[in-house]
Amino acid sequence: MDSANPVSGATATDKEIALAQWLRDRSRVVVGYSGGVDSAYLAVMAFRTLGRDNTLAVIGRSASYPMAQWATARQVAESFGITVVEVTTDELNDPNYAANPANRCYFCKTELWSRLAPLARSRGFATIADGTNADDLADYRPGAQAAREHGVTSPLADFGFSKADIRERSRVLGLPTWSQPSSPCLSSRLPYGTTVTPQRLKQVEDAEHALRSLGITQDMRVRYHDDLARVELSGAELDQWIEPRNLTRLQQAVASAGFSRVTLDLRGFRSGSLNVLHGVTAA
Amino acid sequence: MSIRRETAGGEPGLEGALAERGLVVRVEGRMGLAVLVANEAMVARLGDADVRRAALALAREHGFSHVAIELRADAPGIGDARPKGV
Repeated sequence: MDSANPVSGATATDKEIALAQWLRDRSRVVVGYSGGVDSAYLAVMAFRTLGRDNTLAVIGRSASYPMAQWATARQVAESFGITVVEVTTDELNDPNYAANPANRCYFCKTELWSRLAPLARSRGFATIADGTNADDLADYRPGAQAAREHGVTSPLADFGFSKADIRERSRVLGLPTWSQPSSPCLSSRLPYGTTVTPQRLKQVEDAEHALRSLGITQDMRVRYHDDLARVELSGAELDQWIEPRNLTRLQQAVASAGFSRVTLDLRGFRSGSLNVLHGVTAA
Repeated sequence: MSIRRETAGGEPGLEGALAERGLVVRVEGRMGLAVLVANEAMVARLGDADVRRAALALAREHGFSHVAIELRADAPGIGDARPKGV
């Protein structure tokens, strides 16, 4: 990372100033873009710093990418005038990925970056960046290895942006994603070793969509355990929905996606929950 | 990176520990996940955050990293959620 790295004691504004300089130094940047909080912020920063012709946001689409996320990604890009290209990725047909090992994300990101890198080069972009942030580094993230192997940089992590920093700056910049729940790919809901199939991903997506339709707005996951769904809700929403009068609605919503058994996690939402369940650590 | 793969196997112990604190449930273990099958009154008790915290602490003591309450009204064992062997 550059000598301008402001991590130690820096405010979110300091980090943003350094990020803007980093972007200017690269002139043209492709952003691996999902429409999540992090990549949306990075894409908007690139667009504001470098302009439309020098910023390209690339969406990788597959069955593991939620439709609702895709809609948000398109909406944000359109509202800011960011150019978007979509590439179809085929990680589910990679047996290494479908077997769902603990390093599943490595195979997914390898597929994504191997399709995105040639596209970037063909359009004259030398720099590819993703939205990995500093908080992500604390969890087990095998996808980061694939990024390194393909020369993909993670400036938000390098400059020490926490998720809170990104939300704060996104709010200031007027991004609608500033308060959006985090949104990893749907395969993250399946325990390691459970084969990833389009049907299972759709079941999880449908269940989460049904819960959103009930008015659940904060971080939430439906974890897939074969016939059983385990719902993780955040703080206040867990307190609200564990009320007996609400549990039936919760159960019915998730069951409508085809789960025969529905459970509610007593601790609630935690990022990387299945890593914990399987004892996977970053060490 | 490492993956822990053992089955926790602490169902009877957790059932007993919960029962001692007035939470009469059946525990179904799925690796590190303890699924609590309970009647309506027990589910209602878990609406109290302090009760949930206590249940989570006990589950950890018995080898479970996750605890979830089953929501099916007609779940097997419902209404007969006495701990096994009690």
